Amino acid sequence: MALNGDEEDFKWEPPTEAEMKVIQARRERQDKISKLMGDYLLKGYKMLGEACEVCGTILLQDKQQKNYCVSCQELDSDIDKDNPALNAQAALSQVRERQLAAQSPAPSQAPELNDSPSSSQENMSVPQPRPEHCEGAAAGGRTPLPPPAVPPPSTPASTAALAPARPSVTPQSSAQRLVLQEAEEAVLTKLRWATNQLQSSASLEASIQLCSLINSCANSLRSLKELTQ
Amino acid sequence: MKKDKMPPLGHLHMEHVLQAVGVLEAVILRSFGPEGGQVLFTRDTGQVLLSRSGTRILTALHLEHPFARMVVECVWKHSSATGDGSKTFILLLASLLRLIHAAASKGSNVSHSYSSTKAAEAATARHLADKLLAFGLKELDELIATGVVPYGGCISWEDFTVEAQTSSLTNNLCVQKLLRSFFHTRCGYTHCDFSSHLTCELLSHWNFKNQLPSFSLQLVSDYFPALHTPVSGFPVRSSRLIEGQVIHRDFATPPLKTDHQPVKAVVLTGSLQPTLLSTGDVLELGYRGRMKEERSILHFSSWMESSLQGVIAKLQTLGVCVLLSAVKQSAAVLALATQAEMCLVECVSEDELSLFSQLSGTTPIWDCSMIESEHVATLAFCRPIQLGAHRYVHVAFQDSEDRITIKPCSLIICAPGEGQIEQYACALQDAIRMLLRTWEPMLAAATTTSKSTLQSHKGASLHTDSLTEQTPYRSIAIQPIQKPGCVLSAGGLFELLLHYALLQHGHSCSVSPDLNIDASVSQLLANALLSVPQKIYSHKNTISPIQVEGPLGDGKLSLHCCREGDKLSKVSELDLGLESVSCKYQLLLAVLQCVASLLKVDAVLPTHTDQEQIKCHENKGIKMLL
Repeated sequence: MALNGDEEDFKWEPPTEAEMKVIQARRERQDKISKLMGDYLLKGYKMLGEACEVCGTILLQDKQQKNYCVSCQELDSDIDKDNPALNAQAALSQVRERQLAAQSPAPSQAPELNDSPSSSQENMSVPQPRPEHCEGAAAGGRTPLPPPAVPPPSTPASTAALAPARPSVTPQSSAQRLVLQEAEEAVLTKLRWATNQLQSSASLEASIQLCSLINSCANSLRSLKELTQ
Repeated sequence: MKKDKMPPLGHLHMEHVLQAVGVLEAVILRSFGPEGGQVLFTRDTGQVLLSRSGTRILTALHLEHPFARMVVECVWKHSSATGDGSKTFILLLASLLRLIHAAASKGSNVSHSYSSTKAAEAATARHLADKLLAFGLKELDELIATGVVPYGGCISWEDFTVEAQTSSLTNNLCVQKLLRSFFHTRCGYTHCDFSSHLTCELLSHWNFKNQLPSFSLQLVSDYFPALHTPVSGFPVRSSRLIEGQVIHRDFATPPLKTDHQPVKAVVLTGSLQPTLLSTGDVLELGYRGRMKEERSILHFSSWMESSLQGVIAKLQTLGVCVLLSAVKQSAAVLALATQAEMCLVECVSEDELSLFSQLSGTTPIWDCSMIESEHVATLAFCRPIQLGAHRYVHVAFQDSEDRITIKPCSLIICAPGEGQIEQYACALQDAIRMLLRTWEPMLAAATTTSKSTLQSHKGASLHTDSLTEQTPYRSIAIQPIQKPGCVLSAGGLFELLLHYALLQHGHSCSVSPDLNIDASVSQLLANALLSVPQKIYSHKNTISPIQVEGPLGDGKLSLHCCREGDKLSKVSELDLGLESVSCKYQLLLAVLQCVASLLKVDAVLPTHTDQEQIKCHENKGIKMLL
C-alpha cells in the first residue's frame, strides 16, 4: 500500500522556502479563480464539463453560448511574469543567472582546454550561444541603441578565436598574435566604454544591454587570453 | 468539431474535483453564517426569489460539470433528509478534499505498480477517503458521545409552552430556542421569534400523547404540503393556525346553505357516472328479443341518468352532503348534485385526500354503488374560506374518542411576495425535518460495520461486545450513544469540541503501532473540521477564539470570548442559539460518503447527444457515400 509504504524509494522532504512561496502563490491564484468563477455562476453563467486547454481551468459558458476561461482572459497569466521578453524584471534576473552560470563552469573549462585541443572547438563554441539565449539582451541587441557593433565584436572575436583554435598546438605566428592583440584591445575599449555608459545609465533596458555587452566582452577576452597561452 | 480529450487515469482528476468544489464553496460562502447575505434569483418570467438556503442556491446554478452536479445532488439528498446544513456540507467537503490532496501528494511514493505520480496520488487519496469513511461509521459516534454531548443538553419534547425568556439568567433549553436559531440563519432576524412560536404552536396541536415525538413530527413532515396554505400579499405576522384542514380547491357546486351538524362527506376517487363508453367503442342499439320498440341514443342516455340518480339517492339516504372527488365529474353529476343539495369539490390532490382520510378515519371509494357507512366521514363543518385572492374549502373534523386524540390544525403562511412565501414555507418544512432528525432514534444507517450503534438503539444494552474487538484502553459507556433531543450551542462549538476529541483520540492511537493509520485519519478530520468555525468567525472581526469551560451538568454553557484589544472579558452564556447534535453527525457522515464517492471516480467519459453532432455525423456519412 502506498500509504504504509516503502520509504526507501522516496523520502518526502518539506518544501524549501522558495517552493513554499510558489505553492502559496498558486493557492492564492486558485482561490482567486474560484471566487471569480463563483461570481460568474451566480450571474447565470453555466459551468461546463470541459477544461481550458491552455491552463486547465474549468470553462464557463454565458447566455450567448460563448465559452469563457476565467484565468486566461481575466487574471494575468501565471507564467507571464517569468517571460523575459514581457517582463524587464525577469530579463534582469535571467542576466544575473547567466553571469553566475558563466563564472562557475569557466574554471572547469580551462583545464579541459589544456587537456584536449580537439574538444577546444566545442568549448569555444559554448560562449557564443549564451548571449543569444538571453532574450532581453537579444531584444536590446536588435534596437539601434548602444553601438550596433555589439554582436560583431564578439563574433569576430570568437571566430578569430575559433580560427587559430585548430593550429593551437603549433607555435603561433606573430601575425596571428598581432591579430589577437588587436582584438583584445578592441574588446577592452568596448568594455571600458560600456562600463562608463553603465555608470551613467538611467534606463533599465539600457543597463541590461550594457551588462550583456560587458559579459560578452569578458568572455571574448577570456577566450583570447586562453588562445594566447 | 472539437474533440474532448479524455484525461489519462488519475491525471488532473484531483485538481478538477478540487476546483469544482472550490467554486461551489465560493458561491455559498457569502451566504454562510448568521450574518451571511441572501441571494436574489430572477427568473426569465420576471419572478423574483430571495433565498439564503444553500440547497436552493446550489440547485439554481447552471452546472454541466459532472463533479459539480454530483456534489449538488449529494447536498440535495442530505438536505431533504435533515433539512439543514447544506452550506456547512460544502465547506467541510472542500476542506476535507484539500487536506486529502495535500496528504496524498506528501505521502505518495512512485512505486512500481503505478505508472505516474499522479496515479499514485489518486490511489492514496482514494484509500484515505475510504479509511475516513470507515472511521466515521465506526468510531465517530462514540467520540461525539464522549467528547461533545457532555457539553450540550437535552431538550424535552413537552416544553412547547415554555417561553424562552430574554433574561440571561435562565437559559432554558427548549424547542423554541432551537427553532429560533434555525429561523435566524434561514430567514433572518426579523421574524425568527414569530416563526418559531408559530411552529411550536402547530406542533403542540399535533402532539400525540402516547406516541414518540418522532411520530407526530413524521406525520407533520409528510403531510406538510397539504397542511399549509400560502397566501401572498399580507405581512408575515398575519400567518396563523386554523383548525381542521384547508382543501386547496373551490366548490364546483354551490356550497351548503344550511350549516347543520354533523356534515357527512365521502371521498371519491373515481367518477360517479360510470363510463360505459370510451372512445373507439361501438354502441349497438337495436331490437332485443321480443321488444318491438325502437331504441335510440336518447333511451340510452336517460337510462344512464336514472342509474346516476339512483346513486345520488343512495348517498342521500346515508346523509352525505359533501363529495370530495379526486377526478373531474361530468356535467350530469354536477347538475344532479346541485339538485340534491350536495356540494361537490373536484380535482382534490392526492395528499390532501390522504390526509383527510387519515384524520377522518375513512377510506376513499371508487365505485359509489358499493358505498357503506365506513366510507362516510363526519365533519363539524364544511364551508368556503377566502384566503387572499382565492377561495378554498375549509373542513373541520368532529372529535371522536376512538380515533386520534389530537386537534388537527392547518397553517396559513402569509408573506408580501411569492418568493418570500416559498422561502418561509421551505424554512418551516426544513425546520420540522430538522426536529424530526433530532428526535428520531437513529436508524442503522451505519450499516454492518457499526455494531455499537445498532446495539445502543435496540435498547439500553452495553456495547461491550463490539468494544472487546477494539483496543482495551477505550472506556465503556453505560448510556446509549445518542440521546434523542440532544442539542448544543451553535456557532461552531460542535466542530471545535469534536476537533479536540479527535486530536486526543489521535494521540492515544499513535501509542499503539497498528492503529497508526487511525491517528492520521483522525488528525485529518480534526483539521478539516476547523474550517467551519474559521469561516463563521472570519466575518466577525472583533471576536477571536472561543474558550470553552468544562462540561456543566444542567446544560448551561458559558463561553469566554477574547476580544482583540480588550482585556479578557468574560461573556457568560453568550446567546449563540442551539443546534442539533444528531443533525451534525448525519452531516459529517454524508460529507465523508460524498468524498469517498467523488474520489472513487477513475475517468470521466463525455457523451454528447446534441443535434449538431448528429447532423455532422450524417453529413459525413453522405459524403462518404458520394
